Parts: sequence; structure tokens; C-alpha cells
Amino acid sequence: MTDITKPAIPARVFLSDDVVQILYRLLAALLICAILAISTDSFASVANILNVLRQASLLFFIASGLTLVVLTAGLDLSVGANVALSACVAGTVIHQSGQPALGVLAAIATGAVIGLLNGLMVTALRIPSFIATYGMLWVLNGLTYWYMAGEVIHGFPPAFRQIGSGYLLGLPTPVYLLVVFLAIGTVFAQRTIWGQEIYAIGANPVAARLSGIPMLRRLLLVYAVSGTMAGLASVIFLARLNSAEADIGESLTLPAIAAVLIGGTSLFGGVGSVFGTFVGALILTLVLNGMNLLSVNASWQPLVTGVIVILAVWLDTKARRRRL
Amino acid sequence: MAEVAPAISANPLLRLPGVAIVLALLVVAFAIAAPGFLSRTNISNVLVQSTLLLLLSLPMTLVIMTEGLDLSMGAVLTLTSIIVAIVSLDTGSMPLGLLAAIGVGTVFGLANGYLVAGLNIPPFVATLGTLGVAQGLALIASDGQSVVGVPRSVSEVYLAAPFGVPLPIIIGLFAYLAFHGLLYHTRFGTYIFALGGNREALTYAGLSPSRLLIAVYAVSGAMAGVAGLLMTARMNAGHPTAGLGLEFDAIAAVAVGGTSFERGNGWLLGTALGVLAVGVLRNGLNLLALPSSIQVASVGALVIIAMFFDGLRSRP
Amino acid sequence: MSAALPIDQGTSRDNSSPPLLELRGICKAFPGVKVLDDVSFAVWPGEVHMLLGENGAGKSSLMKVLCGAYGADAGEFFHHGEKVAITSSADAKRLGIAVIFQEFSLVPYLDISQNIFLGREPKGRIPGTIDRRKLYRDARQVLENIGFDIDPTVIVAKLGVAQQQMVEIAKAVSQNARILVMDEPTAALSDRETELLFGLIRRLKADGVAIVYISHRMAEVFALGDRISVLRDGRRVGEVDPARTTPDELVRMMVGRSVDMTYPRTFATAPGKKVLEVKGLSAATGISDIDLVVREGEIVGLCGLVGSGRTEVARAIFGADPASAGRIVFDGREKNGGPDEAARLGVALIPENRKSEGLALMRSVGDNLVLSALGKLFPSGLFEPRRARRVSDDLIAKLRIVTPSARQTVAFLSGGNQQKVVIGKWLAAGARLFIFDEPTRGIDVGAKAEIVALIDRLVAGGAAALMISSEQAEICHVCDRAYVMREGRIAGELARAELTEENIVRLGMHHG
Repeated sequence: MTDITKPAIPARVFLSDDVVQILYRLLAALLICAILAISTDSFASVANILNVLRQASLLFFIASGLTLVVLTAGLDLSVGANVALSACVAGTVIHQSGQPALGVLAAIATGAVIGLLNGLMVTALRIPSFIATYGMLWVLNGLTYWYMAGEVIHGFPPAFRQIGSGYLLGLPTPVYLLVVFLAIGTVFAQRTIWGQEIYAIGANPVAARLSGIPMLRRLLLVYAVSGTMAGLASVIFLARLNSAEADIGESLTLPAIAAVLIGGTSLFGGVGSVFGTFVGALILTLVLNGMNLLSVNASWQPLVTGVIVILAVWLDTKARRRRL
Repeated sequence: MAEVAPAISANPLLRLPGVAIVLALLVVAFAIAAPGFLSRTNISNVLVQSTLLLLLSLPMTLVIMTEGLDLSMGAVLTLTSIIVAIVSLDTGSMPLGLLAAIGVGTVFGLANGYLVAGLNIPPFVATLGTLGVAQGLALIASDGQSVVGVPRSVSEVYLAAPFGVPLPIIIGLFAYLAFHGLLYHTRFGTYIFALGGNREALTYAGLSPSRLLIAVYAVSGAMAGVAGLLMTARMNAGHPTAGLGLEFDAIAAVAVGGTSFERGNGWLLGTALGVLAVGVLRNGLNLLALPSSIQVASVGALVIIAMFFDGLRSRP
Repeated sequence: MSAALPIDQGTSRDNSSPPLLELRGICKAFPGVKVLDDVSFAVWPGEVHMLLGENGAGKSSLMKVLCGAYGADAGEFFHHGEKVAITSSADAKRLGIAVIFQEFSLVPYLDISQNIFLGREPKGRIPGTIDRRKLYRDARQVLENIGFDIDPTVIVAKLGVAQQQMVEIAKAVSQNARILVMDEPTAALSDRETELLFGLIRRLKADGVAIVYISHRMAEVFALGDRISVLRDGRRVGEVDPARTTPDELVRMMVGRSVDMTYPRTFATAPGKKVLEVKGLSAATGISDIDLVVREGEIVGLCGLVGSGRTEVARAIFGADPASAGRIVFDGREKNGGPDEAARLGVALIPENRKSEGLALMRSVGDNLVLSALGKLFPSGLFEPRRARRVSDDLIAKLRIVTPSARQTVAFLSGGNQQKVVIGKWLAAGARLFIFDEPTRGIDVGAKAEIVALIDRLVAGGAAALMISSEQAEICHVCDRAYVMREGRIAGELARAELTEENIVRLGMHHG
């Protein structure tokens, strides 16, 4: 047997590349925490940290399902609008039936249907995902505004509001839900065969197809999951805001995408993780929180988010060349 | 002059430019359902209001022909309209306001072009990022409030009607002719077809695809500046969120108009018709007293339908 | 397999005037392989110089050197007897060399005139504009010169392949190309279009243009050629006068080699039952009416020239491309679905481009190895990393894949080992029919033998294999029998006894 040339780079024995990337990002988050703790008085307070955790959790809920879509090199721009519509539907159902559980079901159902429609547009109608979901965004936007007709639904049962605003053993309830979402998301991505196939689809869709992966079914699944997660997220938003109106989704989409990208999931697919998205959500929330504490005009926020997105994608483009 | 409708598949039903059918259907539907739709004032209204969208859709056509997208147009429009308001307010001069707006718009266009051509960032992400930046700057520059009290010279742009024809319509016509000339009678326009259809052909011919691509986005940004003047003139103020989302209407107009997202095929007349289609749709729904939310949803649906048919067309 | 024939039979060309372009001693090598080895070549004005050779003989490399896409490592160029350098496409253009590629450099939604003069448009009065009337006038002139009667305002996307080719030629002629290089120009043309092209070539000849013409069709080699050069293994093995040679002789020149390859193979004495039966298979990708059979224990070869449709047949059988007609029967069951059905049934495809089609390069060896077997290994849907790890470690050992561990990113493996991963992936999935598309391409000699030995073990264990290869020697040494394809159809089947390189090339080329 001939000696085949040794691989150019030795294998990482202890830590895989993905883990290293996450560690870098955790380090970045810690760094930001340190900077903020030094430069402001109120960052290091318990109240603020809990607030940051709550905010990051809310952001993460929306971004978690989105991560799966991005892993397949797709995009779901409709998540924000999805949350808005689902929340409004759920709010209406809770008010009219008095049953929070029904509301939750309604939200999940709405989110799932939206996700499925997105998936159908991408798979059956073969519309590029960013256009299809962008179109869906506006359709949902319009539908939500029309449905709400300018009204606001507010006042939900206290038990329900606990989901978003409450505390359990000193920690905000969303944080526990965060752990649940994280667990579900990670299990799905890393511990199911569908998750493995999704990574393969993102890494090389041609090879994935030629390896026998049923492409259309998996892509449909991914968008459906993204939509369903957005539906679930809307329940928590509803509980937190204690109101539902049509415009709650507008400022959600860009930060959600930002969280996914900052967290290390590549726009080109195949690389990333749900945990990474959590760290990304954390970093973004810390930055925005810091801006608030430093009394920076809130109008700067979309700008900063935009710049961060560009930076994250640029780094990803460079890393991609190194990867292959 | 080879302004050619895009190649349609063998199916005779699809042979007619789709946008013509859509426009005709919409006009007929609203003529029947909405009273006053075909009145002279209403038609004039539709045309005038469509001008703004036309100013955005024409350059968007070029961008889409290069297989790109400019999602930042709405936000840049918002920013430039505020710039027009601020500058014209401070200096009392409308032309200065216009120049400032075009300048800012071009800078954003160049930034977009550099991100896409120089750093190889996918267009929709690059422009999504600049969207955020422009949106933020618009909020900061306006302090979150409308900038009112613009000089008469600015609002005149929207209200004037030389020879009885509203100035905006004349502006729109000029813009269309200018872009037509650009696309079909200049070397730059010829190369735009190659940017989408066969980029290597440009390299073989000794040209630089990157520089051309940056120029396309720069034009897009500059036009957002011109549109900014029109929007401020229309609202008599610079509003911090007014133009957001208009890029979507522009994409809708281009998609409905038949410009494909692949292979460098563009049809300016189609875009103009598409703009009319979107304008008619919104106007008709307005006349029927349907809320703007439904309008927005309908435009969204229009885009999806247009994209679907576009896909059908390119797959015989 | 046969002795070398006398080289340089000399031509009837009058050598008194210097050639339009001459190459002497051109060498070009890439890491591990020499594509051109001391090649000399000359063209005179007004002649058609045919270039013949098997796949990988060096024809396209020579073309690329000619047009400046490759820089030659060694050798000299002479233009009209004067020494010149060709190191870039600009150099080639200046010398009047133009290459007509098979993938055209046309912009689909511009018209013919705009394509011909792309980058050189006549200027209008306002700076930046184009004088369209002059553009069409000039275009009409060029088209007339080459005898192509068509409206110059027609959009190129609406033209057929033959017409697009004409536009490419018009483009070259308009740039005052004096040396045209054409790579299998008639490959996509009908007989009538071919006649039109020949007419054009004769006109260009009369005009003093020199044409280097790559072809696999004996008919046109003899009909059109003034001289024929044969390349083999990167060397020019002969230059002959068509009037003084025969197709058989050319075939022998193309093929004759004395390479000693040991392929470990134990041939099936009694092939088992039919595993695959294909009848009348046709597809829009360009294959028609394919009939073939593969049995247990056999390695059946699928050969033919590049472009003859072998990969298309493989993909159609696997289900990667939809079939337009015909039946595929695998293990007695009809198969008409896509790759996911194939994987489930037990049909495997090891694609030609393992990096872009066979592997997820950024994923680990282990991830790739279990990819097609996920459903079978984990029917509940839950993925167990430890079990997957065991399966991949097992395969790594069995196939002797050289990698520090299963977690190594597969991109860092050598070509041979990457190929083993692709094969291993299908082993894990329990495949019974393995379709190999160029399994040993781009792999060094030692690893090649390993791969062949692996395939041998597979079929010895009861599987069946269909193997595409452009290396005729490999087919002859490894396969039990072979089908030869030509222009999208099966030209013939060769049994073990008839399986020689010459027969393969003979069947694969257009005779008569």
C-alpha cells in the first residue's frame, strides 16, 4: 500500500472547529460585558443583567428556527411579520375564549401555516427563498394591519403574562424557556438524522441530493419549523408586552438575522449552530443594551445592527474561502 | 431600437407580455368595481403618484439585470428626502437640496457596489445592511421627527403643472427616456446586459465587471436622491420613515414587468408598465376604501405571482 | 498495445514560406502530470490543420497555450518566422489568434451586432453613446464576409447552437483573426448545419485564414483536413497527409502505448443474475435508446469519447436526471424515481467530480460516511453520534482510508482517500449496484490500484459495478466487458476477448 500524502493540516484532537468558533464568540460577549461594566454604572446591576438575559431570550426565540433555514443556505425574512400575525391571532383567541392554552395553539398553528407556505414557495414554486419570504413578509404585514384595523389588544390573564414577564426562582421566565428552546433546537440540529441532512444540504446541496437526501421534503421541513418557532415565540412576546398590535414585528427581522449571522451560522449554509445563535443574540443584546446605558440615541440602533450584519457577513465570506 | 420583450415560452398564453395582461385586467376590474376610477383627475392622480415609484424602479431594473437586488432603496430614499428638507430649509435653495440628496444617495450606491463587487457579499445581504445604516441615519438626522417648513420651491416640484401637465409626470417621462437611452444607446447600458448574462464575456473583452457593477449601484443610489426631492415635495416635509418599504414596490414593478432575475434580461417598458400596475392596484384598492394594509398585502401577493410566472417562463 | 508507427510522414505542403504560426518544443506541466511534452506544431495560411487525440492526449491544453490562457513552461513561438511570446490572451489576440470555445462567450440578451463588437462599439456623437446605425452596418459587413445570412439585430438567445457558433466565428473574424482554433465545432450541429459550417471554413481558407480544428469524426478529418497531427500522452506522435493515411492508421497512432499497468482483478467466470437492466433509455440530457445489462460479480465498462453521453447515462440510471423514455429495472423492480429512491433501493453513484458532487467538503469524514445511510442506521430518526462513529471507524479501517480520525474535515484528505470516502458512504448504505464515473481520475498511480482492488472486492462479494473511464487501458484491464458510446447512443458492446483499446476507440469515433 502506498503512502498517501499526509493531510495538510493536523486534525484538532480536542476541540472541533465549531466549538472553537463558539468559544471565540463567548469570549467576545465576555469582553463586551467587561467593557460595559467598567464604562457604565448600571451595567453590572442584577436588574440590568436579568433584563439583558430576558431581551436576549426573546431575540433568540425568533432566531432559533431561522438558524435552521440559514443552515440550508436559505433565508426567512418573514419571521418578524410571522411573530406579529401569530401574536395578534393568539391575542384575539385568548381574549375571546379566555383560554390561554387555545391562544398558544392558535399561535403555533398560524406560525406553522406561514412556515409551510414559505416552504412551498421555495420548493414547489421554486422561488428563491429571499424573494419568497420577503413577499410573504409584506403579505403578512398587510394582513396583520388589516386584521387588527388599528386596534390594540391588551390585558391578558396574569398567569399567562408570567410566561413573558414573570420570574421563577429569581430568573426571568423566558430564560427557562430559552433553555428549553435551546435544547429542542440543538437536539433537532445535532441529534436527529434530519438535522444531519440539513447540515449536508447547506454544505453541498448537489452532493446532498446525489447522496439520496430527499431535498424538497427537508427544505419544506426547515421552513415549516422556522415558522412554527416564530409562532411559539409570538406567545412569549405577547406575554411580555401584554398587548398585541400590528407593528410589533417590524423591528424584529433585522436583529433576528443579525443574531444568526453573528452567532457564526454562515449565509452560505452548512456551518453554524443553534447555540451559536444564542451567543449571537446575547452579543447583539449586550451591544444595544450598552448603547442604551451610554445614552446613545436610540435611532443609532438600526444603523449599528446594519453595520454588524455587514461585518459578520464579510468575516463569513473570508472564512468560507479558508474553509474550502 | 431593439427593446425586446423577454423571451416567452411556447405556450401562446404566456406569449403576451404578462405585465400587459395584468395591467389590462387590473384596469378593467377597477373600472367596473370602483366608481370614478376612469375619471381624468383619478388617472392624473395615478400617474403622478406612480412617478416616485418609477424613479426607483428604473434603476432597480438595471440592478436586477445584473442578478442583484437593492433592498436599501427605500431607506436611502427616506434619508435623502430628509436631506432635501434640511438642506433646502437651511439654504433656502431647492437645487442645493437636490444636489445634496443625489450626493448622499450616490455615496450609498457606491457603498453597495463596493460591498457586492469588491467584497463579494451577496447583494441582498449587503443592501439589507446598508438599509439599516440609512434607516438609522434618517432617524438621527431628523431627530425622529418630520422636518417641516420646506421652501415653496421644493413643494412646487410636485405641484407645478407646465402646459397643464403635472411636473412629476414630465419628470417621470424624462427619467424613462434617460434610462432608455442609457440602456440601449450607450456602451455602459450594453455592458449591463453582460453583467447578468455572461460576466466572462466582459473580461474577455478587456473590461472590468467590478467597476461596472459598482457604477450600476451608484446610479441606483443617485436616483434615490432624485426621488427624495420628489417625495419631500409631495409631503411638503421630510419624514423619518416615509419611504421605507418602497423598494419592495419597486421590485414588484420590475418583477411584474418581466425583467427576469437571471441571465441579464431587462425590459424597461415592462418596468414602466409594472409601475403602472402597482399604482393602479393601490389606487383601485384605495377607491374601494380598502385599508393600506390590504394594499400592501396585495402587492406582496403580486410579487409572488410574478416570480412564479417568471420561473415558469424560464423553464419551457 | 501496438508498436509505434513511423513518425513524420511529411506533408505535401510547400515549406518555402514560413508558417503563419509555429510552436517548437512546447512543454507544460501541472503538479504530478505533464500535459504537453515537447510538442511542435505549425500552421500555414489557408490550411486546415486537424488535431487528433484521445481524451487527455493534450489537445485542449495545446489550445489553451495557443490562446494565452496557459503560459507554456518551455518552448518557443514563431509568428511569420519571427520569435514572439504568448503569455496572455491579449498577446494571442494581437497575433490574430482566436479560439472558438464550446461554451460560448456570448451575452444572451444582446443582439448579434452587440455581441460581435462587445467592447469595441463604434462611438456615437455624445460621449459614451453607441452609433447604432454604424454598429449594424459593420455587423452586416462582417456577416456578409463569412457568408452568414442573418439579421444582425436578432437577439442571440433566440439563435440555435449552430447560429451562435457562427456569431462566435464572426466575432473572431471581425477582430482580424488569422488563426482560428475550433474545438469540435460540429459536435452540436445537424448535417445541414455542418455543411454550412464547412462552406464557411472553405471561404476562410480561401481568404488565407489558418484553422486548427479538433475533431473526433473521421469523416470530417478526411473531408476538410489539409494536415493531421496526432497527440498522445502530451506528445505529438505524428503529422500526416490525409491523402496518404487511413482511419485505422490514425487510430493506431492515437492509441498505441506501451504502459505496464498492473490491475488486481479476478474476473468473474460465471456472472450472476441480472442486477440492472436498462431498455430504451432516453433523456433530454442527450442520450437515446440505451440498452444495457449489468450482472452480479461484474464490472461493466462504459466508454467512449468525452461528450458521448456516458455521464448522462449514469445519471439517468441513478435518477439524478429525469428519463424521457425507457425502463430501468433494478433487481427485478422498476425504478423511476430520483436519487432518494435510488439510495433506498441500493443503487449508488460515485460522481465524476467527487469534490463538488460527491462530498460535503467542509464536513468531517465521519459525517460524509454515514450520510446516505442515516435512515437505515437510525430508523427512529434519532441520531446517535457514538454509533455513527463506530460505523465510520469501521469503514475507515475496512477501506484503509488514511485520516487522523473520523472527525477530520474531508477536504484535507488526498484525492484517493476522498474517493474512498465516497465509496464508503455507499457501502454503509448497503448499495448493491455501484455506478462509477471516472473513479480513478486525478488520483496517483498507487491509489488507483487500490481503488480498483476495492471495486474488485465489492463485486466479488456479490455487488455489481458499472464503470465509466476515459482511460482505455484501465477499461481493458479491469472490466469484464464494456459498452462503447458514441454521440448519445450505444455504438456497440465488447466482450472480454474483444476488449482492446483500438476497438474502443474505433467504435467510439465516427467512421465513414
